[in-house]
Amino acid sequence: MFEDRKMETMTAPAGMELVYRRPSTLVDTPMHYCPGCSHGVVHRLIMEVVEETGIQEKTIGVAPVGCSVFAYNYLDVDMQEAPHGRATAVATGIKRVHPDKIVFTYQGDGDLAAIGTGETIHTVNRGESIVVVFINNAIYGMTGGQMAPTTLLGMVTSTTPFGREQPVMGYPLKITELIAHLPGAYFVTRQAVHTTAHVRKAKKALQAAFEYQGHNKGTCFLEFVSNCPSGWKMTPLEANDWLEKNMLPMYPLGDLKVPGRN
Amino acid sequence: MMAEGAIQAGCAFFAGYPITPATGIFKAMIDELPSRKGLALSAPDEISAIAYCIGASMRGFKSMTATSGPGWALMTESVQYALMTETPLVIALVQRLGPSTGGATQGSQGDVLLAEYCTSGGYTIPILCPTNARECFELTILAFTWAEILRMPVIVLSDKEIAMTTESVDYESLPQMTSQDRPKNSAFVEFGEYDKERKNGTYYFHALHEIPIFSPVGGSRKVTATGSAHDKAGTLQKNSPETIDVLAHLEEKLLWRADDFVAVKQDLDPAAETLVISYGISSRAAQDAVRQSRKSGAKVSMLTIQSLFPVPRKKLRQATEGVKRVIVVEENLRGLYRSVIERYLGPIQVRGVNKIGAMITPAEIRSVIEGAV
Ligand SMILES: Cc1ncc(C[n+]2csc(CCOP(=O)(O)OP(=O)(O)O)c2C)c(N)n1
Repeated sequence: MFEDRKMETMTAPAGMELVYRRPSTLVDTPMHYCPGCSHGVVHRLIMEVVEETGIQEKTIGVAPVGCSVFAYNYLDVDMQEAPHGRATAVATGIKRVHPDKIVFTYQGDGDLAAIGTGETIHTVNRGESIVVVFINNAIYGMTGGQMAPTTLLGMVTSTTPFGREQPVMGYPLKITELIAHLPGAYFVTRQAVHTTAHVRKAKKALQAAFEYQGHNKGTCFLEFVSNCPSGWKMTPLEANDWLEKNMLPMYPLGDLKVPGRN
Repeated sequence: MMAEGAIQAGCAFFAGYPITPATGIFKAMIDELPSRKGLALSAPDEISAIAYCIGASMRGFKSMTATSGPGWALMTESVQYALMTETPLVIALVQRLGPSTGGATQGSQGDVLLAEYCTSGGYTIPILCPTNARECFELTILAFTWAEILRMPVIVLSDKEIAMTTESVDYESLPQMTSQDRPKNSAFVEFGEYDKERKNGTYYFHALHEIPIFSPVGGSRKVTATGSAHDKAGTLQKNSPETIDVLAHLEEKLLWRADDFVAVKQDLDPAAETLVISYGISSRAAQDAVRQSRKSGAKVSMLTIQSLFPVPRKKLRQATEGVKRVIVVEENLRGLYRSVIERYLGPIQVRGVNKIGAMITPAEIRSVIEGAV
């Protein structure tokens, strides 16, 4: 089914060595994401893992609505869009009828931690053997930078013009910590992709998650603390710096639950 | 402009969830309402947004939410709840191309029936439909009046083109309209004979069309609201005669006074053979087309319907007097509103001008007006 694209190979000009290339599992097309956005990096990492483990033909992705609504134009695996917030529910249906397939969802924080909170918790609580990729950029990117449950206190968004105030809008929701408490969660980790070192670690986490899915022991949940330069109204470099200083103290990186350890 | 209208109408509570093309109203309310004696909240989804509003409205605060197709789908459960519990509520529904996620930045008039027929039982829900920014202001105020007087949800049906096009409006010239408030009782209402047998007392009516004043929440007498079938005290019952009365009352209270709940713009030519009917964004192209066709000698009338529901039947009858054919212009595939009004037009020939994916142009309408009858 993917024959045409698999045939395509990249070669280096004579006398040079090819050290970096687009994974064959990523469609050769410009992405629509804003400069510096984390979505593109995470897309690539997932597809590297899919390529390296040779699971392209048995992987099914569920894309949400959100900035990554176009993910199926980029990720060269079978994809299905879900209504806003329902990605893990749709993925449940897919995985139940195709237990042998590798199923993953790819969701923003608005999708996963606001409108889809119920689905998220119940999917993990049932221990569905899927991989959940959770992009936390502390904002609704697609709709123009409104406050999300993950928005930091004091953070200015288009719907918190004076910064998020706890008495009115509550606290930032650390849904990954909540998830880690559920017995259905098999592997829970929080990663970032704003530096090369973080990208390397994030890839390892993704490799583990896709491998663990084969164990059929529960849900693998990966949060990626991400930026949103456009929504935060910053340059990509400023956004990465801001992420490091502000997001990471609230959303500390590391594994929250590892098979065999907790 | 809807946000301005709402605030002028005394809206004190707004809750929303981002969705293109309705986010502008949400954002304007977040920016404006707090400094103008109101409260504007972000909800974690549309189901919560409308439920916050119902809670606030039940306590007497004029409330509003705004959404678009996919969010509306999630809200409909609570719209029915608001109808059943007679909770005043204004919902701005800004149409985009559906079904499903559809086209977020693509205009459409495809939600007319989805909005109207969202209740089990097919109860009439008033729908007001502005054609421009100014009418967004005026009709939102009117929507609050209707919601408060009728004690029911009222929809302001806009669309992407109207919501996301920049138009200039002369603020000075805006009417100083205010919306009416629901009649309130400061103390428990005496229901006479009916009272004696009951512990609870939410309201009482004799004739089905009466709109009773509700007892205040937080008084000496227990007041309850339920989305389940209930009697006049708000107590859950299965199918007692009183429950059936309450259900009939939900429709009767509007239909009995339907003639007072009408908003149309008429541009009639007594000699007209053709009547063009339209609403919302399409009516602007239709009005242009009518103007141009008249210049080239066509005898044609124009009726712009602002109150889509309840269907303004009297106005339809007046406008169709002497007319040989009716052309209904709307931006959807199947002629949704046409299918509703056709039954009131008798033997008159009815045609639709329909299209999706782009606005209907005056030229497209003219070719039908000036084509053979
Ligand atoms: C039921 C419903 N409500 C609202 C929307 C509008 N909408 C589209 S994407 C989105 C949220 C995007 O934010 P997030 O999930 O954080 O992803 P991001 O765009 O930041 O990657 C919303 C609210 C919708 N499509 N459906």
